[in-house]
Amino acid sequence: MPKYGMVIDLQKCVGCGACAIACKTENNTQDRAKGQTFNWADFVMKTEGKFPDVKFTPMPVLCNHCSDAACVAACPVTPKAMHKHENGMTIHNMERCIGCRQCQRACPYSSEDVEKAGTQYSVISFNDFTDEVHPFYKDTKEVIPGCTSSGADVSKRAGDMPPHRTLYKHSDYASVREKGKVEKCMFCEHRVLNGEQPYCVASCPAKARIFGDLSDPNSEPSKLLKKHKAVQLKNNKGELLKPGEKGTQPNVYYIRSFKAEAKKA
Amino acid sequence: LAGEKVSGSTDPGKWIPSTCQGCTQWCPVEFFVQNGRAVKVRGNQLSKVNNGYVCPRGHLMLQELYDPDRIKVPMKRTNPKKGRGVDPKFVPISWDEALGTLADKLIELRKNNEPHKFLFIRGRYSPKTYPLAYGTLPKIIGSPNAISHSAICAEAEKFGPFVTEGYWGYRDYDLQNMKCLVVWGCDPLSSNRNVPNTINKIGDLIDRGTLITVDPRLSAIAAKSHMWVPVKPGEDGALALAIAHVILTEGLWSKEFIGDFNDGKNQFKTGKTVDESAFAEKLSHGLVKWWNIELKDRTPEWAEKICGISKDQIIKIAKTMAAAAPQCAIWMGPGAVMSPRGAAASQAIYAINGLLGCVDVEGGVLSHHPKSPSNKLPKIDDFLDDMAKKYGKEKKIDQRGYKQFPALNPDPDKKGNFKPGTAVITNNVATGILNADPYEIKVVVSNWANFNFSCTGAERWDRAMEKVFYVHIGTNPSEAAMYADIVLPAAHHATQKLSIIDNKGNGYTHISIQQPVVGRLWEEKADETEIMYMLAQKLAEKGFPNMINYFNSFKDPETGKHPTGPEDFAEIASKIISSAVWKPKEPLKGDKLNGWEDFKAKGIYNSEPYKYKGLWEKGFPTPTKKFEFYSEGLKIGLKAHAEKYKTTIDDIVESAQYTAKGEEVFVPHYEPPKVWGDPVKYPFILVDFKSRLNREGRSQNTTWFQEFKKVDVGDESWDDVVRINPEDAKKLGIKTGDMVKLTSLTGSITVKAKLFEGVRPGTVSKCFGQGHWAYGKVATKEFNKTPRGGNNNDLMPFDVERFTGSNCRNGGFTRVKIEKV
Repeated sequence: MPKYGMVIDLQKCVGCGACAIACKTENNTQDRAKGQTFNWADFVMKTEGKFPDVKFTPMPVLCNHCSDAACVAACPVTPKAMHKHENGMTIHNMERCIGCRQCQRACPYSSEDVEKAGTQYSVISFNDFTDEVHPFYKDTKEVIPGCTSSGADVSKRAGDMPPHRTLYKHSDYASVREKGKVEKCMFCEHRVLNGEQPYCVASCPAKARIFGDLSDPNSEPSKLLKKHKAVQLKNNKGELLKPGEKGTQPNVYYIRSFKAEAKKA
Repeated sequence: LAGEKVSGSTDPGKWIPSTCQGCTQWCPVEFFVQNGRAVKVRGNQLSKVNNGYVCPRGHLMLQELYDPDRIKVPMKRTNPKKGRGVDPKFVPISWDEALGTLADKLIELRKNNEPHKFLFIRGRYSPKTYPLAYGTLPKIIGSPNAISHSAICAEAEKFGPFVTEGYWGYRDYDLQNMKCLVVWGCDPLSSNRNVPNTINKIGDLIDRGTLITVDPRLSAIAAKSHMWVPVKPGEDGALALAIAHVILTEGLWSKEFIGDFNDGKNQFKTGKTVDESAFAEKLSHGLVKWWNIELKDRTPEWAEKICGISKDQIIKIAKTMAAAAPQCAIWMGPGAVMSPRGAAASQAIYAINGLLGCVDVEGGVLSHHPKSPSNKLPKIDDFLDDMAKKYGKEKKIDQRGYKQFPALNPDPDKKGNFKPGTAVITNNVATGILNADPYEIKVVVSNWANFNFSCTGAERWDRAMEKVFYVHIGTNPSEAAMYADIVLPAAHHATQKLSIIDNKGNGYTHISIQQPVVGRLWEEKADETEIMYMLAQKLAEKGFPNMINYFNSFKDPETGKHPTGPEDFAEIASKIISSAVWKPKEPLKGDKLNGWEDFKAKGIYNSEPYKYKGLWEKGFPTPTKKFEFYSEGLKIGLKAHAEKYKTTIDDIVESAQYTAKGEEVFVPHYEPPKVWGDPVKYPFILVDFKSRLNREGRSQNTTWFQEFKKVDVGDESWDDVVRINPEDAKKLGIKTGDMVKLTSLTGSITVKAKLFEGVRPGTVSKCFGQGHWAYGKVATKEFNKTPRGGNNNDLMPFDVERFTGSNCRNGGFTRVKIEKV
């Protein structure tokens, strides 16, 4: 059984956002609301130094599919809604989820409310118990009555909601989640099971995301981890795990630097 | 859970090719379609230009297509009062009524012997189908006023390459073989050209060599670079000239391309003239002239004081480039040149590519691409009546060719020569309308254009459009639409329109299809084909059949059938143009395609790869057939313009706002920037730039644009910030998050302040794109009332780079003051 993980090559990454937007098209995540981002793929931006010696680093972020997943440990239902698959992925079962948000509180990479916490992202987002999912495409307001469309009209005419909904099936999760449930990146298991790459990987024009079996020393990510010194995120504030520090044993690694480093003579 | 069966799969669907037009690269793409809905986007897997990827813009097409604020039906204004924030009180009308009203207006102009008072404005278009709307409607009615958007954001960029190597267009860069890339005044990881290919190749280029970025603000590519060179806005020319000076004094020029001194000894000594006969030039023209007229005194010490870059850094740039040459390129963009005197900078910066022999070579700048053939649409001439012929010769409303506007474009008859009075001055159209100079404009039609938002001095367009009967074709209730008398709903080009597109990049050219991948949701129609055909039918009904007769003369290259309606007209036109690649007369060197259906299924024809040094062999398309450091083509163009006004070239140059005199004009030379605003009253220079999510000003109504706005280095999501250097902010007592009012000589906007180290002190930088007060619910805070952020075009005054007609928007030509509110 493979043990999946991802290596993100920051030298190749240009911080363009294609991965994060492509993820929204694949996984039909809704728009930000009430401190929930619903971005399964996102960024932490860091600026260091002073003009003109400035170092800017956009770090692509997603669920780390940790080996010691705090979200799984915290999930109170039996069997657990947030659980590990044998292939290393941390998968959320939507049916079993009771919306208690213990996982969101436990995950070091998540915030219950990104605005209140002042964090740039959250791996886990929560679909409110009361609000409709994708309210944007249920809104009936026409800015010019009778002449322009509305969210509700577009989704009705297109025939689905959101109108660009990518239809897929998975035994644990649905292509659009329900009210009262949490959601997060599933490493696109519905694709990986069929030999495809997660959609953020497939959509990265820089080929900066390398996904594969970390237990196989010959896999692309394993080779890169051997070649380059890697770092892992410690939390969703952009801090890194120190050497020897295990944290929740994240399986997303970062290699090299966004800013070109001067060559050694 | 042990034992639990895990399963998953994507539901059935199909990838259908089309073409993205979210920037000017026009990437071949594919849409994944499930149940008749477009759900995902990727690059066309067969494309050699984008390697099968789209940049982040591509994905936004889904939200453009399914934008809840799309215009569903034709609508007409019932409130005659026009103005910002005034409710036009639009009501829905039928296509019949909409086009009938327009046809009546056009026929009325003809009845009154004033068909030239009609104006057609072309926004986003399909290059190969240009005759269908832009090339037909004004011409057949009898108006010279076919006005394209092109000069709003580009033309000065083409000036340098044209006067040096006779190439009028966007350059391509051989990134995969390059060892040193100097990005100058643009960010190809975000905008300009070739974005997906640059994203794809930049990581490896960094391994292979050196990446340098010249830009006053920290762009994405600047943040990635080995060296960020934050030049003072508008002083790029000084930096370029000093680099050239170092290259010559240090003997680093390409001996293979340029040649050498007869005795092999370098006589380029600072401050000393050189005898022209001492140097034997090979593939260039006028090097010693350039040195003697200009370069000999343009030392790094001189430039340091002007451009804010240290002499040591200037020398380092020159040496780094020369060490990598010819596998080296300067990728020049609008930031350095779209300013009142930017043509001189364009020439100076581009000339360095020649000095180092980096043009038309492996790992360098490419401009001599193999052709992707296409057929021309039938000629219109036989369908033009006497009135159309007569009034079609009237002066154009953009005032091109006026003494102060040489508006040079390549002479179609003489390679490398400039012809005055032939370049569009897009943003001057508002001046022409407001002053009725050369005459009044009465009826305007535009497609995919929103000049009330996208042109500097935007407010002028508000006043201009108050004066005319205006028919707007677009997808959304944009700022321009709010001034329209009739609005026609446009099909979304990438997903709902059939058209043929061509472009180049990564050493290839291609012809790609744009085709409906999903059905129409409302009554929207394709602008250049269906709407024009329906208008032609309407004109015929009302007694003017020339346009429909012209359109009906088109013949399907397979079946020989003529059009019978708007849809098959679009298909026949597309087939005529593209049959050159799927039904070629002779076998082509690129892809082999088997008929129209095969082309539609694949969506693309790729040419053979670039052939290096083709220009070295056969000569450059310039008057001397050489790479010209002394431009004979510019001299010819300016001389012709001076003769028209019976004056001297110096007088023309001065009227065009330049300071150079005599021979200086024809070589890359230093021009002090022209800046609007007193430095004491307006202490900061505004640096305007483009968002990497900006689909030509049209994506701001998508939630994904707003959500990921932060990918523009230093920007904030769902907001519009002005980035201020922390030292400057401290003096002003401004903190991140404070609301500030920016005021220039011509206007004010209020936005949020963001302290950011990636801003040159004394400048502020702000992204273009936000500040919509119309367009939809997402782009605005409150539709037709409150904008989200502020539009840079309300701050930047209207000015023109007059050699090319380019709209000024960069090069630090606008000063602002900052006040906390």
